[in-house]
Amino acid sequence: MTNKKYKIFHDGLDWAIKKPPKRLNPAIFCPSRDIFQARLDHLLNILPRQLKNKNLAFLLIAVIGEIGNNSFDHNLGNWRDINGIYFNFDLASRLIALADRGQGVLATIKKVRPKVSNDAAALKIAFTEIISGRYPEQRGNGLKFVSKIIQENNFKLRFFSGKASILINAKGLKIKKEIKKIPGTLAIIKF
Amino acid sequence: MKLELKKFGKILNSRPAGREAWLAAKAYLLPLKNNKEKIEVDFSGVLVLSPSWADEFLTPLKKNYSQQVVFLAADNPTVKATLEIIARQYHPS
Repeated sequence: MTNKKYKIFHDGLDWAIKKPPKRLNPAIFCPSRDIFQARLDHLLNILPRQLKNKNLAFLLIAVIGEIGNNSFDHNLGNWRDINGIYFNFDLASRLIALADRGQGVLATIKKVRPKVSNDAAALKIAFTEIISGRYPEQRGNGLKFVSKIIQENNFKLRFFSGKASILINAKGLKIKKEIKKIPGTLAIIKF
Repeated sequence: MKLELKKFGKILNSRPAGREAWLAAKAYLLPLKNNKEKIEVDFSGVLVLSPSWADEFLTPLKKNYSQQVVFLAADNPTVKATLEIIARQYHPS
């Protein structure tokens, strides 16, 4: 992912890992869930035209909403430094990017599975098992839903957290160890 | 009674919104516990439904009113996918 086409991914990566974080343009930063929701509503107004298929647009909005809202759900009151998420899209390249500077998936999963010791295992659990980092609340379906929609609709998701990533596409799920550490999360969706 | 979800919004996708909707429905819309009236959940007009919202609204609705709740058929793909995912919670295999 080195060419210009992936600029929004690299901008998100840069923001997710740099210390201190770069100040983001307000157009691509959502300091609160309400602002994220408003930008999602805006995207829903323009996506059906781009995709020429409103059902695909609805599914994509549901996936983006789950990933973005997850950042708020799991980091509320516990952000590492900046409250909020990076949310950017490039309709010409058919890419969406989201990132947060939160606790990351391993820290969340460890609350309910203390024996899980690495990022790759935590990502696998998050995307394949009905489990919630906010036990005892009845929840934990969101990322399984994301995985299902991505696989069934020929989208592609690469989701990074810690020193691991998960790639999801029509062929299934693949976990990979990464060299660079992303303390929170970073997601790139190709549609 | 018919519970029209579009009255809570066309995009139903966050936990706080789902929780707020559940509290409002409990206070103003849903029948009292001893009333065994059927509750038909109507998804028409909803553009996006996700499991986060559904976990906060449909899961407690099912838990509190179990056999009275009927999900009406829906065409929207996000509604279908969400109901499929949360159904595993009600009937784990």
